[in-house]
Amino acid sequence: MSKRFCALVLLIVAAVLIVSEADGARKLRVIATIPDLKALTEAVGGDLVEVDSLSRGTVNAHEIEIRPSMMLKLRRADIVVENGLELDKWIDVAVQGSNNDNIVRGGAGVIDVSRGIPVLEVPTVRIDRSMGDVHPLGNPHYSLDPGVAPIITQNILEGLSRAAPEHRTTFERNRQAFLAQLDSRMGEWTKLMEPVKGSKVVVYHPQWIYFLTRFGLIETGWVEERPGIPPAPGHLVRLVRVMKDEKIKVLIYAPWNDEKLAERIAEEAGAKPLLLAAMVGGVKGADSYLAAVDYNVRTLSQALRQ
Amino acid sequence: MRSLGIVISALLVAVTAAPAGAQDAAAMRREIEQLRQQLQGLTERLQRLETQPAPQMAAPPPAQPGPLAQSPANPQTQMSPPSATELLRPRQPFGLYQQRGSGQLLFDMGIAGDFVGSFTQHNVQKANGGTFTGRENRFFPREVELSLFGQIDPFARGEMRIESGEEAPGGEMNVTLAEAFITLLTLPYGTQAKLGQMRNRFGWSNVIHEHDLPWIDRPDVYRVFLGEEGLKEKGVEGTWVPDFLPFYVQVLGGVFNGDNETAFGRGLLTHPLATGRVMTFFDLTETQALQVGASVANGETAERLRSTLLGFDLKYKFRPEGWLHPLLTLGSEGIYSIRRTERGVDVDGDGSPDLFQKQTRNSFGWYGWGELQPWRRWAFGVRYDSTQFPAAPGYQWAVEPYVTFYPSEFLRFRMAYKHTDRSHPFDVAGNGGSARLVDELLFQATFILGAHPAHAF
Repeated sequence: MSKRFCALVLLIVAAVLIVSEADGARKLRVIATIPDLKALTEAVGGDLVEVDSLSRGTVNAHEIEIRPSMMLKLRRADIVVENGLELDKWIDVAVQGSNNDNIVRGGAGVIDVSRGIPVLEVPTVRIDRSMGDVHPLGNPHYSLDPGVAPIITQNILEGLSRAAPEHRTTFERNRQAFLAQLDSRMGEWTKLMEPVKGSKVVVYHPQWIYFLTRFGLIETGWVEERPGIPPAPGHLVRLVRVMKDEKIKVLIYAPWNDEKLAERIAEEAGAKPLLLAAMVGGVKGADSYLAAVDYNVRTLSQALRQ
Repeated sequence: MRSLGIVISALLVAVTAAPAGAQDAAAMRREIEQLRQQLQGLTERLQRLETQPAPQMAAPPPAQPGPLAQSPANPQTQMSPPSATELLRPRQPFGLYQQRGSGQLLFDMGIAGDFVGSFTQHNVQKANGGTFTGRENRFFPREVELSLFGQIDPFARGEMRIESGEEAPGGEMNVTLAEAFITLLTLPYGTQAKLGQMRNRFGWSNVIHEHDLPWIDRPDVYRVFLGEEGLKEKGVEGTWVPDFLPFYVQVLGGVFNGDNETAFGRGLLTHPLATGRVMTFFDLTETQALQVGASVANGETAERLRSTLLGFDLKYKFRPEGWLHPLLTLGSEGIYSIRRTERGVDVDGDGSPDLFQKQTRNSFGWYGWGELQPWRRWAFGVRYDSTQFPAAPGYQWAVEPYVTFYPSEFLRFRMAYKHTDRSHPFDVAGNGGSARLVDELLFQATFILGAHPAHAF
């Protein structure tokens, strides 16, 4: 009996040791708040990371339903990659429900990729909610601009290296390979957008400013008179008039915006409603960061040339 | 002679001042020229910057590595399991509140205002038998709440809420402490602890404040078994979230004073109120989810008699792809009460009890609720309540259809009709009124000013 017991104990100890060993060699478990950051973390982390996103490209990251299943993912996470600038502030509630001490605000496992981003539309006057859903820290939709991907990936590199310093060289190499690809695509995209530089566009929600600024386009108006607040009819009448007067060809909207409203306004103004990938996975074919930017550039440049 | 001296002095001053003035003018001209050149340079630089569409693709300055990044020997960075000593050691913060500048508060602040009102029959008002007991046929501030919340330090989060509201018609409104607690976030093995005064996590709706409830009034089962405010206690609550299960489970245990007078009331840590809860969650599909929970609370009444509450709760949501709100929400909660009570027995027939017999009284109450939100601004729902009374015979049921209008995320108006049917005459005021059948028109206006924490599911 005692021999059997000893054998059982040894077996359990061996199993625990094996599991511990396997655990030591496992990939870093990373949770990104939005799909763009998942894609960029995969680009830097390569085979050394296992990345999941808490939201999908077809869902507005402002209005995420915090499910306990997210908390389970976070419970097992080594690292959380967040957009910051209050786009994904809901992550705090999900993290608190996860009981994972490594990823609480201020913890070693938190990567806020907004560090070092040249933030646009930072309010310079006193703001309040009469202005709609304004972001006091500036426009948080910077990941749409491929030009800031080097900053984002640098932040990711630093965060991953903090958790696994022994892999820093690999992360660096992965990042450089990604940036080389990005650089070559950037040349193509700039060439494609060059003929339409200076064109005016109307957007549904003010989330495209980084992308438009990067390629020299001008945001002339918003469907939402105030961010996040459904537009009043009077505002839409004025918007259609402006679009006609300014001969605006394109109205850009995201998958979660009111498609019918975008189509109706565009039709009345003689413009084209254009669904762009507001995030990776937002439209068919935009299943990687480069593919999403590529889709947006090609679709927009084509529409503006017509 | 004196005037001659003055003239000579004036001439001398004029002669010596002229070259100095000329020198000053030349220096000033040089300075102006320099400034002009600087201005031209700055103008050109500004023009250059303006013609650039966006920041260049140059790599940014590397993010400041935290202290742990500079110490590879630290076990945390090595992916190896931390030792017990490591787990107990406070962690070094990484850029806490890095985006907050000087002059900014290091915590969030918000105000929630909840105004309610009702119209009902005169006999219901006389008996104080309406939903807002003693405040029938009135419009009043039920809860105006100031919330302060944020990180205390890298290891703990603090929340504090003070509130005021009308408790009696025309009475003084006292400011009371609604909640004040800290949550220890960095405990080992997937645990957290919360201590202070808090709304208990018993069922899923008890923890929700009045202004955030999906209905105008708290479900009857809570009001009958736990009082108008639900279960709110002072003590400690610990949670554990295991990471080895394929689905989310939260296990909770708590020890409290037991101050709730409706269900407990002993109010001593030597005879504490002990609570427990297990909650799990299933993602049925990408668009549908189900939350299931079971709760228990065990304590003593003010009469030193045992009181136990067993609860269940369910919540289902269907949120179509890309929607900003759920289309359909279904929910239910129930409480089964096992309470020791004393019953007076009249032995000699003189009409007054001569001895008291202890007995166990079991009672049950529940509600079922459904809400349809076809548009972002409008929601329609109905709730059915049915409950017995934990310490007295009889039961009541109620049905409450309602409509909610949200002008924005921070402003809400709601109107409901509630019909309540009781098995017996109901007279809280004790002045001859009766509220056996109650018909009420309830209305509510709620606003949120400033920060408001998000709610899970």
